[in-house]
Amino acid sequence: MAEISLSEPLNHPPESGASSQRSTVPGTKRLILILSILFPFLAGLPFLLKSTEIYRSPLPFSSIDSLSARVLPDPPPPTCQLHAIFLRPVAGISAGRMVRLISEEVDKRIKSGHSCGSCGRNYAVSVTIDSGNECAHSGGGEGNSCFWPCGEVDSSLFSKDDVAVDEMLDAVLRKGGHCMVSGGGKPYTIVLGESEAHEGFRNVVGKHRHAWVVNGNARESDAALIIAKIFVKFFMNGGKEDALQRNGEFVPVGLDGSIVLSFSLLNANPNDWVYYWDFQKIDEALAPVVEALAPIANIHIESQVLYHTPKSSISKWADESGGNIFGISDLPFFVNSSEWHLDTSIAAAGRSKILQYVPTKIECPLLLQLQDGQISKTNGFISPRWGGVILWNPPDCSADFQSRTPIRRTMPRKQLQKIFQVFFGQLRLLFGFKSDIIPVDDVDMIKILAGENGFTEWELDVLYRHHACYNLISCMSTLGSLSKLVQSLPRMIVIDDIGKQVKYSLEAANLAQNNASLGIYDASAASSLQARSLAEDAFFHPSVMSISYSSLEHYFAIFMPFFAPVSLHLILAVVREIRHYRRERAKYLAFVAVHAG
Amino acid sequence: MFVLQLFEENRWYNFDDNHIAPINEEEVKSAAAYVLFYRRDPKEKKSNLLKLNSEYNHLQRIRRVAAMATNRPRFPTAAFLLLLLLLYSKNALHPTLASIEEGEKREEFTEELLLKPLPDRKVLAHFHFQSSAPPSAANGRHHYIFPKAIAQLVRKFQISELELSFTQGRWNYERWGGFDPMSITNAKPTGVELWATFDVPLNEIDYTWKNLTHALSGLFCSSINFLESSAAYSTPSWGFHSNYSNLRYGALPREAVCTENLTPWLKLLPCRDKAGIASLLDRPSIYKSHYHSQRLKLISSKLVGIILEQTLSVVLQPSLRSNSPVSFNAGSLQPSWSVNSLFGKKVTGHCVLAKVSRIYFELEKNLASKVDELNPLNSWNNSVLELLEVPSREFRELDASSNQGSSLLYEFEVSFSNESTPLNIGIHWKLPLIWSCPHAPFRVSRYLMGSGNERGSIAISLQSTQLHEWFLTTSDGCAVHVVIFQVVPWYVKVYYHTMRIFIDGKAHIISDVVRKIQISPSEDKLSPGSMELMLRLPCNIHSATVIVDFDKGFLHIDEYPPDANQGFDIPSALVTFPDFYFSRRYQLDDSMQYKSTLLSKFQESNSAKRYTEVLLVPLTTPDFSMPYNVITFTCTVLALYFGSMLNVLRRRVGQEERLSKSKGTSIF
Repeated sequence: MAEISLSEPLNHPPESGASSQRSTVPGTKRLILILSILFPFLAGLPFLLKSTEIYRSPLPFSSIDSLSARVLPDPPPPTCQLHAIFLRPVAGISAGRMVRLISEEVDKRIKSGHSCGSCGRNYAVSVTIDSGNECAHSGGGEGNSCFWPCGEVDSSLFSKDDVAVDEMLDAVLRKGGHCMVSGGGKPYTIVLGESEAHEGFRNVVGKHRHAWVVNGNARESDAALIIAKIFVKFFMNGGKEDALQRNGEFVPVGLDGSIVLSFSLLNANPNDWVYYWDFQKIDEALAPVVEALAPIANIHIESQVLYHTPKSSISKWADESGGNIFGISDLPFFVNSSEWHLDTSIAAAGRSKILQYVPTKIECPLLLQLQDGQISKTNGFISPRWGGVILWNPPDCSADFQSRTPIRRTMPRKQLQKIFQVFFGQLRLLFGFKSDIIPVDDVDMIKILAGENGFTEWELDVLYRHHACYNLISCMSTLGSLSKLVQSLPRMIVIDDIGKQVKYSLEAANLAQNNASLGIYDASAASSLQARSLAEDAFFHPSVMSISYSSLEHYFAIFMPFFAPVSLHLILAVVREIRHYRRERAKYLAFVAVHAG
Repeated sequence: MFVLQLFEENRWYNFDDNHIAPINEEEVKSAAAYVLFYRRDPKEKKSNLLKLNSEYNHLQRIRRVAAMATNRPRFPTAAFLLLLLLLYSKNALHPTLASIEEGEKREEFTEELLLKPLPDRKVLAHFHFQSSAPPSAANGRHHYIFPKAIAQLVRKFQISELELSFTQGRWNYERWGGFDPMSITNAKPTGVELWATFDVPLNEIDYTWKNLTHALSGLFCSSINFLESSAAYSTPSWGFHSNYSNLRYGALPREAVCTENLTPWLKLLPCRDKAGIASLLDRPSIYKSHYHSQRLKLISSKLVGIILEQTLSVVLQPSLRSNSPVSFNAGSLQPSWSVNSLFGKKVTGHCVLAKVSRIYFELEKNLASKVDELNPLNSWNNSVLELLEVPSREFRELDASSNQGSSLLYEFEVSFSNESTPLNIGIHWKLPLIWSCPHAPFRVSRYLMGSGNERGSIAISLQSTQLHEWFLTTSDGCAVHVVIFQVVPWYVKVYYHTMRIFIDGKAHIISDVVRKIQISPSEDKLSPGSMELMLRLPCNIHSATVIVDFDKGFLHIDEYPPDANQGFDIPSALVTFPDFYFSRRYQLDDSMQYKSTLLSKFQESNSAKRYTEVLLVPLTTPDFSMPYNVITFTCTVLALYFGSMLNVLRRRVGQEERLSKSKGTSIF
């Protein structure tokens, strides 16, 4: 700078009259030179910015926002369709009137509290009256007439055994299911018939998606009442009066969509006795369950036997029950997490533990006392989202022998079967159902047929709906956080993988929602799981987790030392040259004016 | 062959395919019998149960033999006889064999401990646990005794062999033994050492190794995941183990070993440290020790299933308390000690899941021969020393070749002990004794030469111990082979062409001495350099030195560890002597079918090897603000240059001269 101010005498002596005019045209050589340096600089600036730009894969922020606005806080409820079929003449009431009657009853029963994954008020009712010689459909839908082929079955069907009726109805409905035009899921069907063989009402819920009501000649309002009851209690809420009220998942599903069911047999003191189990039997028995729950998660089953695993709560002897008693209040302290090495699996999946605890000789028999003072029949308990524990007292528990011979036994087969029943009940509880299917519901005299793989089809539907809903919420909140994060850090690198995963995740989430509204619940659960795991993958992508995004400070620190001084020189030079040129031109113009004048 | 004990006679009968003959009880316990019929005596219920207990192991073995025998084609007479006997037994004999459990599924676990006084007043305790799982489809999913996590690891990564060791301290080859099973298989370099072979296609091995390091680092709470980068592990072809193409080897010399690593290791034992021999593992006494090495070895194959071997070797200094009356004159040389004084605990019973639960007490060959010289009546309680507990068995080493005496081994059965009668094995010295331990043919040391931050040399020096009988018996023309395996991180750039070999101080031509050499030079930031070298040295030399030069490389700014000024470690080199094989066999009672996994490990013939010290190479540590300084400095220079160029270009020299002239005229 000093050089410039020295070499450039800025204070041009304006008082010298001789230099106030010039006869020659001022030269533009230096001006052009300086400008030709300035212009490449200016032209190069976009290139520089472009080349130092950070790569950010374009994320579909708007579609994330619109989808999360739809899904959060409550996703739109899936559709539940009810199809009521009257296999007897309905005196003086049209199908349309029947639809209204049923809808009124259903509306009365639906609680306003809306829980995730329940259909809520998003249901559709259709009615077919098939009285043998005439056939009437509500709304005159073509699909309905195809779905229920009138005249194929009549009320004489119901004189048969329940299981046979169930299978026959399933066969008929399955045939009809193919021609559903809309491509939606199968509706829940309730068939009303009459039979001379039975007295009064006979209500059976099958293991598929249908139920049947056999009654003599009840009034239409009563029929509507019982249809609404069955529909709301079983098909919509999975056998409970209320919809599943718990929030979140019942069983933790891993990020990759798998669950490890880890069975552990805990021999509290192997010096007393060591029991083994023939786990192959349990494994085989669980195989159909694993298959049925496949849309929710891939379930892996593992087992191990642990030794020297004392419980951490204290039990006390009670004479009246002939065993060591511990109460509900001791349960939180029962699991001894410092001595029970349950998490020995290397898989990084969601994990549910199911434990069988064999007590020591001193504390045997160990009994669980319920709050009302009763001894628990199953002698087990569950902890939601964690797993279940069963206390199993060896058969020769009370026999007092002093031998030092180590006892090593395999659990007797009968005992194992009993234990398996409890395991299975706990599994149902963990998944959010009642521990066992009560064959007859006392309140409404409704008989329920148990499913082949432990779950009935309508129970699985409830589970699918719930999981789909939960997965969607979790997926959208993850994607929302990701988009917030990306938007708040403008200099964060977003690689293409993340963009792709977000895109696929959104597609899967949309698909899950469409399927849910169509009533295809298993597909909805499967694609929602996919959406969730893709969203998690995107969020936990290693490049997001690394903090090596280049900050603005770094950017300035690198480019400032060069560009600040250089551009200062350049701008000063340009300003001076322009000023100089204008002054000289003014002089020349003055000269021209004088000489012309 | 069937063996039957007729209860009237209280004798055993042998039912062969050909004849029936009475035999004595010892013969019954031989391997040939595969069905034994017992009778339960209602009067002697208790004693019978005890008898069953003591013969439980034996029956286990018979069961296995029987399983094998059923596969063999048999003569019809045998089947007929079996049928007859079964019919007969229905009435008179109660086949108690049937009550032997199948639930165990043949997963086995053994626990053993070896105690050994060392010449420099220290004690070696070597814990050996072995779990095995037979080949099964359910491996990795359902287990009874075998740790599930390990089986899953084997299944997921298709491991065929793996060895992982955590070591603190350095094994003293001179004082603790350089040529015995302990030093050969259980002495490990400081820090973490991991090697594994996989049963996967060659192109997937690196990927599998990387995943394995992550799984192991999670399992053992350590930084094994640092071995993931390809610059951290190497692929030795013959220098480490003979001829493995799928072996990967990595070492972390600076890994600190502590309780966090021991606890997950103990979790793999079925009884953990709650019962049995492992209950001795008192953390403070282990981590106070001079040397401890915790090792895990896995062997898996389709035929034998998975075998998991866990060993822990500790060298402890017994406290020199002179509270026993005799120790005043004797204890000054060798301290008397017991398990209780070493670990602060006593053995109070075995782990009930262990098939074998024993403690061994070994007297080294040189020590045993000194004891023998005194011709004592009793080798374990004499004028020199006294064992605190009565051993249940005593074995002598089978060593026909040497006349220098043989090692002694005492066995203690842990299952006989309980809370009221704990086992407190120890030794009480009555006379001061000095003995030495067996030495390897060469003492090996490795050191750095040169100074400055640019270059240096690594020297591996071999000093002949001249003690080995092998040297004495052979003639002048003999030669001994030495294999050196050395891995060097990439930032130590070794120039292998500068290798020089000095024998007894004189330089030799490399091709005269080197028999075989394999070098994989390091690649910057990609792979470490490794050198496998087989030397052939004359027997009568005193010393040999191999020297290679290296340059120190530059690391990228974010490759420096937080404590860069401490220096960088070069992992231990492994020196193997393939001519010197060692195995230790004990005169086991063959008829007893004595089974011990520890002693069978001792019987395996291994060549002598030693690990060298870890080297510490200081590298120049940069000033971490340097990049910004450089940028600022360079840019300032550029800006100055640019500014002056710009000024030069737009200067109007003529006009300025005119101006100065006019100024000058106006002044004058």
